[in-house]
Amino acid sequence: MEIDLFLWRSLFKNKSLAARLHQLLWLYNGLVVLLLSGFYYVTQHKIIEAMGAHSFLSALSVRPLPADEVVALSLLAFCVLFACGRLYHRQDITQEARYLALLAETIACLVVMRTLSLAYDGLVLLVVADLMHRYDGKNRGGLLLGAMLLLFFLADYNMLSFAGGVEPFDAYTSYYAAPARGALAAIKSGLSSVNVVLFALYLVMLIQNKHQEKERIQSLNEQLEAANEQLRIYAAEAERTAETRERNRLAREIHDTLGHTLTGLAAGMDACLVLIDAAPAKAKEQLGRLREVARHGLKDVRRSVKKLRPDDLERLPLREALSHMVKEYAETTSMEVSLVVEGWPEHLRQDVEEVIYRIVQEGLTNANRHGHATKAEVTFRLEEGRLHIGIVDNGVGCKETVPGFGLKHMQERLCLLHGSLTCRSEEGFELEAVIPVGQGNKEETHD
Amino acid sequence: MALCLLLVLGLWGWQAAHARTQLRLGVFVGSSWDVPSSEGYAVVDKAIESFEEEHPDVDVTYVSGIKPEDYSEWLAEQILAGTEPDVFLVLDDDFEAYASMGAIRNLSDLISLDKGFDEDGFYPALLEYGRKGGNLYALPVECAPTLMFVNKTLLIREGIEMPDENWTWQDFYDICARVTRDTDGDGKLDQFGMYGYDWDLAVTSNGGGLFNLERRACNFTAPNVEQSVQFVMQLKKLQQGHEVTGREVDQGRVAFRPFNFAEYKTYKPYPWRIKKFSNSEWDCVRLPAGPSGKNVSPVSTLLLAMSDRTAETGLAWQLMKKITMDPEVQRTVLEKSQGLPVRREVVLKAAKARWGWGASGSESVNLDAVSSIMDEAVSHPKFRDHESVIMMAENAIQKIYAEDRPLSNSLHKLQKEVNAYMQR
Repeated sequence: MEIDLFLWRSLFKNKSLAARLHQLLWLYNGLVVLLLSGFYYVTQHKIIEAMGAHSFLSALSVRPLPADEVVALSLLAFCVLFACGRLYHRQDITQEARYLALLAETIACLVVMRTLSLAYDGLVLLVVADLMHRYDGKNRGGLLLGAMLLLFFLADYNMLSFAGGVEPFDAYTSYYAAPARGALAAIKSGLSSVNVVLFALYLVMLIQNKHQEKERIQSLNEQLEAANEQLRIYAAEAERTAETRERNRLAREIHDTLGHTLTGLAAGMDACLVLIDAAPAKAKEQLGRLREVARHGLKDVRRSVKKLRPDDLERLPLREALSHMVKEYAETTSMEVSLVVEGWPEHLRQDVEEVIYRIVQEGLTNANRHGHATKAEVTFRLEEGRLHIGIVDNGVGCKETVPGFGLKHMQERLCLLHGSLTCRSEEGFELEAVIPVGQGNKEETHD
Repeated sequence: MALCLLLVLGLWGWQAAHARTQLRLGVFVGSSWDVPSSEGYAVVDKAIESFEEEHPDVDVTYVSGIKPEDYSEWLAEQILAGTEPDVFLVLDDDFEAYASMGAIRNLSDLISLDKGFDEDGFYPALLEYGRKGGNLYALPVECAPTLMFVNKTLLIREGIEMPDENWTWQDFYDICARVTRDTDGDGKLDQFGMYGYDWDLAVTSNGGGLFNLERRACNFTAPNVEQSVQFVMQLKKLQQGHEVTGREVDQGRVAFRPFNFAEYKTYKPYPWRIKKFSNSEWDCVRLPAGPSGKNVSPVSTLLLAMSDRTAETGLAWQLMKKITMDPEVQRTVLEKSQGLPVRREVVLKAAKARWGWGASGSESVNLDAVSSIMDEAVSHPKFRDHESVIMMAENAIQKIYAEDRPLSNSLHKLQKEVNAYMQR
């Protein structure tokens, strides 16, 4: 009794009610299988002892299994059934293995039922319970229905006996006297009924479990929604804060540069107003100084504005950014730069765009700084999926091209894109960069 | 430890390699034809001896002492417990059931693989008897045809020629009518035409077809069956109400007596011969042909089958062939058992040697005639209730004879009863 209780406790500890019922279902069915096989065993021996074997066999259309085989085979198959059931429930097996386990479980179930002459079809419910336990709605509906239909079809004694398969349970009970026969039939149907009740209870528990889980998920969802709302508020606040900070910075910048300069200018001009009549020369001198201050201020303002403005590439498409850059460069360096576009690739990745932009920037800087050129031409040409960028200037060039930091950097960048860089110096300096921009480019650039 | 294991494994392997194969045979002692028998296991022992000579590593055993009447139950118990012999005799009543429940093995595949299996050497009706649904499930061991024995002495005395092999009911009736008379002038009939010729024999030689096994139905109202019953009725009428007895046959006062071969075999030899056939010479002929049939005899067969669960299919098959096909073993059937061998060559060889009972061979039987009868013999249908159905019919028809009831109506009623019984 104590052992029983211990078993009971160890089995049913820390489990949900549905899982406990599932185990109870297993335990119950195991006992029924034991009971039935025992019944067959005892009855067969009784029949042989009573010399009724011939009349018993005459009433049958199939040869029954020997008693000891019934016991051994049914218990063995039940163990296999149980093991497959456990396997089926494991979390760490693949989907294929799970289907295999299910198949093996179904077969074992059929073997047990066949061995017990289909007297007890409760095992089908056991397999169905297993299926239900892992039922997750995905494609399982059909599987569940199919397995259930198959099992019940195969398990139905009438269908099997129609095809000539199994000796009936009644052949065994008919050995006993009428009262005992009635009792046996009652016990048999009772066993089935208890199983059905257990199964129904299990289903109810399972549905309840699922319902609870659903509720839990719903409440989690609500919490998540609230958290999201909070986040949105935070984000808006952060945006406002950033705006304020930027505005403060602007104000400070204006105050520091323009304010300072303007204040100085105003004071200087006041002095000039006083001086202009008395000492025009002094006033002139003062005005000259003021002009310097104003220029300096202008420079400061430009610097500030530049600091505030984002990079061209970031806000403009590459082509516009390039022409903007070329134009601005020409203006600031009084070098004559022309941009010739003979071909333009359709889609460029951001990193490729960046490289192209930097190459042009670097090329022009070199032409100005090292070549002291007055004219430069930037050409874009598309040939067989490759973009050729040529930068030609009329500067002094150089006898030997020693790649400086700029050229080296350019080469490295191109290398990453499987491109190449060549340069030539005859009259002026010629630079040609080739970048693959075809279809294959995308994959190739990854490695 | 490993050495020990190796030793154990080696021992086990040695034992497995040298273990003698056991083959179990299921037989009963005595005859299946209700006749006394003295040399119970002669055929089986002969077969086992010869088989073990050919297969020195095989032991064939059987449980001795099982009587024919207990055999069916014994076999059923063995089958139920899963301990049936590898090869066993199957009684007529059980054959159908065991074949359909798969307790005995379908031999078709073994036969198709075995080139040495000579089907035509068996009498056709016997092999047919072991068939179910076109598949062979059992082989015949011995058989017993029903033959018509003729009191030659009586016919000669009456100046009647021996019937030839195409004789008919009319010939039969005519002879019976001629010999049935009062020989000693005491006003009572004391010489008769026949004893033991019954309606079922008449049906067999008048087209048969009493049972339709597919529909599980009988056919007592068919014209040929009615004719047969009527014919026997007419024969009985010749006897003017006198019931002929076996004693009158023994005294040589009856012209025709259908005999099962096994009955004849036990009937004829010493000491029975002296007691019973003291002054008459008997010979056997075919059964007379009815208007819708031929001169065919019914034959009953003892079948040998293989368990469906045997582990030694090949050896079991060899043993079955040894018992049913080996000329020596089959020769033992003729000599020591009550039946007739199932192989034509064995019977014909014995006929050539003018085989007979007794040391001198004085009581020879016309085995050539028996063999040709066997070639055309028919087996009675076998189904589970055959015996009880025949009993039912026997009772009803005896009543018809005794009470002289209107034939058609009575047979109709019988048919209904039997059909109800068969389809219950």
